[in-house]
Amino acid sequence: MVTKRRTKRRSKRASKTKSVAALVTAKPAQEAYRVSKVYTSPKSIPIAELPADYSRADLEFIRIDHSGASYEGRVFLNNPGADENTPTVEETGYAGSFYIFGHGGCFGDVGHCEVNGKKDAFDPRPSHPLEPIRKVVIATAAIKRAAAQSKEIGVTVVPIVVSWTEQTDLTNVMNFDHINLVAYD
Amino acid sequence: MAGLTLRKNVDSLTPEELQALREAYRKAQAIMDNRGYNYHAGLHGIPNWYCWHHDHVQGSNVNANLFLPWHRAYLLYFERAIRDQAPANAKVALPWWDWSSLASHTTGVPVAFSVPTANGQPNPLYRARIVAPTSNPPINRFTRRFPRNPAQLPSKQNVTDLLNLSQFNDFSTQLEGYHDGIHGWTGGNSGGPNPVGGDMGTVSTAAWDPIFWSHHCMIDRLWYLWQTKHGVNNIPPNLLALSLRPFALTVKDVLSINTLGYEYAVTLIQF
Repeated sequence: MVTKRRTKRRSKRASKTKSVAALVTAKPAQEAYRVSKVYTSPKSIPIAELPADYSRADLEFIRIDHSGASYEGRVFLNNPGADENTPTVEETGYAGSFYIFGHGGCFGDVGHCEVNGKKDAFDPRPSHPLEPIRKVVIATAAIKRAAAQSKEIGVTVVPIVVSWTEQTDLTNVMNFDHINLVAYD
Repeated sequence: MAGLTLRKNVDSLTPEELQALREAYRKAQAIMDNRGYNYHAGLHGIPNWYCWHHDHVQGSNVNANLFLPWHRAYLLYFERAIRDQAPANAKVALPWWDWSSLASHTTGVPVAFSVPTANGQPNPLYRARIVAPTSNPPINRFTRRFPRNPAQLPSKQNVTDLLNLSQFNDFSTQLEGYHDGIHGWTGGNSGGPNPVGGDMGTVSTAAWDPIFWSHHCMIDRLWYLWQTKHGVNNIPPNLLALSLRPFALTVKDVLSINTLGYEYAVTLIQF
C-alpha cells in the first residue's frame, strides 16, 4: 500500500542537440574509461517556470538508447564546458549521475536488434528489450542552487563510458530524446 | 523461521559454507544441459534475452517495471539449480555482496570472488566459461572482469536514502540506477591501447560472471528491506498478475521471500 503520494508535477521539456567532444582514453588501467559525445541543452529552462516551493526536483532523461556500451551520464547545471575532468562537486554544478547498463551491441541475426512496436492488442509478448528507457536523476539541491544563482538552467551531460563489447560503437554512445524537469510539492 | 534457507553476506560465510558454495558452482558449471550454470546464465542476455530491465509493455498494455520481481524469480531458480548439485545437508544458498560496506569500499570485489584459485583448484566464483554457440558471433571463452575504484561504489547513505523512498516505482527506478552503475563498475574494461570490456559490464554476458548472482542477491535483499519498511504488498496492483517468463511465477507469487523459502539477515553486526 502506498503511504505517501506526490502531487502537482510540473515539467519543462528541453529539445535534443549534441555537441562534439574528443574521444579520450585515460591512462591508469583501474580508471580506464572513454568519453563519448557530450550533450549540452540548446535551450535553458527559465527559473520562472519552477514553482515557488518544492520538496524534490528530478531531471528525467526520456527515451535513452541502451543498446550499446555501459556508461555513467554525469549531469551538470549551468556548466557548458564540463568534461571528464570536471569534479563532481556542487561548485561545478554537478547535479548527479544516471547509469546505463548497456546491452553491448547486437549478438543476433539481421533484424534482431530492431525495435518493433507492439503489433496488436492481442500480442502477449513483452515489448522489445531495446525499447528506449527513462532515467531519473534526483537533483533537488543542485536545481535549487542553480535557481538561486541564475535566471535559467542549462543542462550538460558528460558520458563516461566504462564497459563495452567488440560489437559496440563507442563514438556515439549517448542518445536520448529530451529532458524533463519535474518538481514535486 | 524454521525451515527457511538463510542467505548471508558472502564475507560472513564460514569456510565450510564457502567451500560448499564453490563445489556447487563447480559442478553446475560442468553441466551443459538445462540443469547447468551455462543454461541459467543464458536466460538473462545472450542467447535468450529474458531479462527484465526498466519499463516494458506486456500483454494487457500494462507498462510495467518488473526489474525486481523478475530478478527475484531468476535468482530463485538459479539457487535451486546450484543447490541440486550440493549435498542435501549443505543448505547451499546464494550469498549477497554488500557493495556499500566498508570492506567493499576498501577492497572492491570480495576475496571469495577475486582469488583465481581456492584450495588448490580453479575458483568457480572467480570466472566461468561462456558457451554460446548461437550467439552472433559465437562465444566460447572465460568471463573477464576489470573492477574500478572501490571508492566509486554506492555508500551506506545512498542505501539509507534509497530505503526511505516510499513509492515502489520510485524505489525500483533508483535502485535499478545503482544496479546499472555497479554492473559497469564491476565489468569495467582492461584499459591500454586495445581495451576489452568486462562481462558484468553489459547485459549480453553479465550473468556468466559468478559475481552477478551475489550482486543481484544484494539487490533482492534491498527490496526485502524496503518491503519490511513499506509493506510486502507495496507494489502497483496492476502488476500482480503479470508473468515472469520463463519462470512459472507471477509478480504476486514472489512478493514474500518467506513463501519462497528463504530469509535475509536484516541487521548484521560483526564483532
